Amino acid sequence: MKGTYLGEFEEVVLLAVAIRSGDAYGATVVTEIEQQMNRSVNLGAVHSALNRLGEKGLVTSELGGMTAERGGRSKRLYSVTAAGRRALQEIRQVRNQMWESIPTTVWT
Amino acid sequence: MKPNHRPPPRLATYLLHLFCAPHRVDEMEGDLDELFQQRVRLLGERKARLRYMQDVLSLLRPSLLRRQHTTEYPQPTNTTMIRNYVKIAWRNITRSKGFSGINIAGLALGMACSLLILLWVQDERSVDGFHANGKNLYQVYERKYYDGKVEAAYETQGLLADELKRVIPEVQYASGLDWTRPVTFQVGSTVNKVEGNYAGADFFRMFSYPLLAGNPNTALDSPNGIAISRKMADQFFGSPEKAIGKAIRYENKEDLTITAVFENIPANSSQQFDFLRTWTAFVKENDWVHNWGNYNPSAFIQLRPEADPVKVEAKIKDFIHRYLPKNKSFRVELALQAYPEKYLHSTFKNGQIEGGRIEYVRLFSFVAMFILLIACINFMNLATARSAKRAKEVGVRKAIGAARTALMGQFVGEAMLITCLAMLVAISLVVLILPAFNNLTGKQLALPITQPIFWSTLLGLLLVTGFVSGSYPALFLSALNPVRVLKGSLRFSPGATNFRKALVVFQFGLSVLLVVGMIVMYRQMNYIQTKNLGYNRENLIYIPLEGEIGKKYDLFKEEAGKMPGVLTVSRMRGTPTIISHHTGDFSWPGKDPNQATSFADETVGYDFVKAAGLTLKEGRDFSKAFGIDSVGFLVNEAALAKMGYKTGVDQPLSWGDRKGKIIGVLKDFHFSSMHETIEPLIIRLDEKRSWGTILVRTEPGKTKEALAGLEKVSKELNPSFPFTYQFSDLEFTKLYQSEQMVSQLANYFAILAIFISCLGLFGLATFAAEQRTKEIGVRKVLGASAGSVVALLSKDFLKPVLIAIIITTPIAWYAMNRWLQDFAYKIDIEWWIFALAGGLAIGIALLTISFQSIKAALMNPVKSLRSE
Repeated sequence: MKGTYLGEFEEVVLLAVAIRSGDAYGATVVTEIEQQMNRSVNLGAVHSALNRLGEKGLVTSELGGMTAERGGRSKRLYSVTAAGRRALQEIRQVRNQMWESIPTTVWT
Repeated sequence: MKPNHRPPPRLATYLLHLFCAPHRVDEMEGDLDELFQQRVRLLGERKARLRYMQDVLSLLRPSLLRRQHTTEYPQPTNTTMIRNYVKIAWRNITRSKGFSGINIAGLALGMACSLLILLWVQDERSVDGFHANGKNLYQVYERKYYDGKVEAAYETQGLLADELKRVIPEVQYASGLDWTRPVTFQVGSTVNKVEGNYAGADFFRMFSYPLLAGNPNTALDSPNGIAISRKMADQFFGSPEKAIGKAIRYENKEDLTITAVFENIPANSSQQFDFLRTWTAFVKENDWVHNWGNYNPSAFIQLRPEADPVKVEAKIKDFIHRYLPKNKSFRVELALQAYPEKYLHSTFKNGQIEGGRIEYVRLFSFVAMFILLIACINFMNLATARSAKRAKEVGVRKAIGAARTALMGQFVGEAMLITCLAMLVAISLVVLILPAFNNLTGKQLALPITQPIFWSTLLGLLLVTGFVSGSYPALFLSALNPVRVLKGSLRFSPGATNFRKALVVFQFGLSVLLVVGMIVMYRQMNYIQTKNLGYNRENLIYIPLEGEIGKKYDLFKEEAGKMPGVLTVSRMRGTPTIISHHTGDFSWPGKDPNQATSFADETVGYDFVKAAGLTLKEGRDFSKAFGIDSVGFLVNEAALAKMGYKTGVDQPLSWGDRKGKIIGVLKDFHFSSMHETIEPLIIRLDEKRSWGTILVRTEPGKTKEALAGLEKVSKELNPSFPFTYQFSDLEFTKLYQSEQMVSQLANYFAILAIFISCLGLFGLATFAAEQRTKEIGVRKVLGASAGSVVALLSKDFLKPVLIAIIITTPIAWYAMNRWLQDFAYKIDIEWWIFALAGGLAIGIALLTISFQSIKAALMNPVKSLRSE
């Protein structure tokens, strides 16, 4: 599992890519995270995370269309791979499993 | 772009571009920009900018900075293309060795030639440029108005320099300088002849001739002092230090004290001397200087730095007439010439300075340019003619996307490369030729390899030549239409062919011009050399009259006359080659007392006419048989005409207060250079003078015996002087040294020009024959004879040569006519000179072409036609 271990930030980024699927690139991922989590994120951190995710095979990227608001510059569109989806599901499952294991008495 | 688009911080963007991996920078900047615009709306511009900068900094992390290893962005394209250009250029050079050889040889010859000329011109221009006071130094010359004409010359009155300094406050220093002459010196048993001069006390203060010993301010003060050169000091004393203060015997007459030793006079000084005596001594020895009607030495002045030369010139205009009564018919004006300019501008016409050596400097500068141009044209011609071979390459390059400027760059660069090779050859040629060239021009030129100016000149020459010769091929080739070229139908437009022909016309025009120049100069030189001078310069020997012979001249004449091979012995003050002394002291009944006239005058001994080989029109020679000869005069026809006498003999004529009469009239003879008309000359008898020249007429073919006998007599009578002599004909030749040199150089350059032109023509003919191989094959199959094919090929090339001859003839005529204007005695330019030059050009052109055309015509048509 070492190769596919996901850090917390990586997980967030991967989730953001999934949320914005079809339109996931640096800027949108940043806005998505900022909106969802209400905290500011550095573009560099996002790109670096995306890089790492790409190296782990959890996302793929391709150069996408240019838009006028970017001054005609191209963007790199990311999408979550099957492995990426599995990784997210796995995390979620582990979390759920752990949630289940909390004795109900604790909270009451 | 949206109207409310805000520009992101520029510095940060710049930073991003500087560091970010090139393949990702676009994407990153896009993201940054998008976020920035968003944040401007949400957070305001200030915060957005801050975040933008933060983001940029955050992007500068190793994982994002890493460059990608791809072929997407290879090395800078330039180096690859340049390497390709060089490779292609080299392949082209080596593929057709013949053409490249012709190109390089032509260019190298042209460049070597212009390099030599540049060296020569540079040297000529540097003459007299080294004097520290140069800009304040002036030479005084005199403009004489008489007989309704005006003449100017550098000869001045002997006391002029000193008087100018005394009277005119603006003159800081002044010095006279006589004419350099050989003189015998003796120290112990060392006896030698040395060439030297007289100069004023200020001389070393004015001119920058460094002193090795002695004080420049007092070197020429004491009457019996003498300043000598390092060479002379070494010769007599071993070293300059040992020489100072020593005594040296002068002409076995007096002992002089060495007051100074100066460094040897550099070759680029127009004044040349190995010793200087003082002006005081000059005045003492030459009584005539006190009469301001006589003039001979030069005068130099140095103005005070603040003085205005124009004002000074105006001020001294009438200076001479303070000492010489003014009269209507004879007026002398003084004028100034900046001394550093004197060497190149020393010819007078109508009293004004007009030209001189500068004309040769200009002429040769033009010749250098012409020859280089001819060589460049060769290159252009060959390159465009051969463009058929390069056309495909150009087509492919263009199809792939080469810009026209890139192609032009390529071809100009290729020309530079070839020029570079040619330059290397040229430099080695110059090194080889330089000794011979120095010999011819009498200079000591060397390649100034230590001077940056030399290298920058070379670079300039390289760039200019490369650019000129590469420009047309570059324009022509880069304009080719790739579609048509690649389809395989390369047709030269008539424009291109005509341009090439025009170039050949130009080339041959220049060559014909040079050839005409060569012939005219040669003929004029020949004319001068063989013209009947009026005296017989063959078998005539000049011996300096000096020392004891001054007193024992009669004995010498008697003894020498007995020697085998010696026919007649006489004497004179100067030599028949040059009589330069002038005087206005002659008068005769009927002379207008207000009319001052100047005559060349000369003193001679008995039997002068016989010894010099002159022709008497009437009367007789000076002879001991007549007692009255001391008051008799010989005049030439020009003098007789000037005095207005019909016949000369027994007509009265006075020299100063010595009354006498004419005893003989000489036919006019040339006693100065052919540049001048024969002046009126009056000759009187003087056997008492202690110096001068002994004339010895020898029997033809017995010169050796005569010289041996003369040496014996001379040794006996004049033991303290070495025996020296000159041949009259050689002395005469020396008068025309510079013309000789120019004539010879013109020969070489004309030959070179023709040769380079022919190289080009040869190349073109080779190419044409190659191009038309098939055509010739078909013609031969259809029955054309070899002769008709040769004619066909030659015709094309002869036309431009003919046109060149027609165009050049009037230009050449005009140019040569101007050159001949400088001679008072000259040849006529005859039509056959042009015919000869033209015929020569056609002949050589034909010969050049014929080699190729005959080869093409004799080729077996089967061979030339089988390949398709």
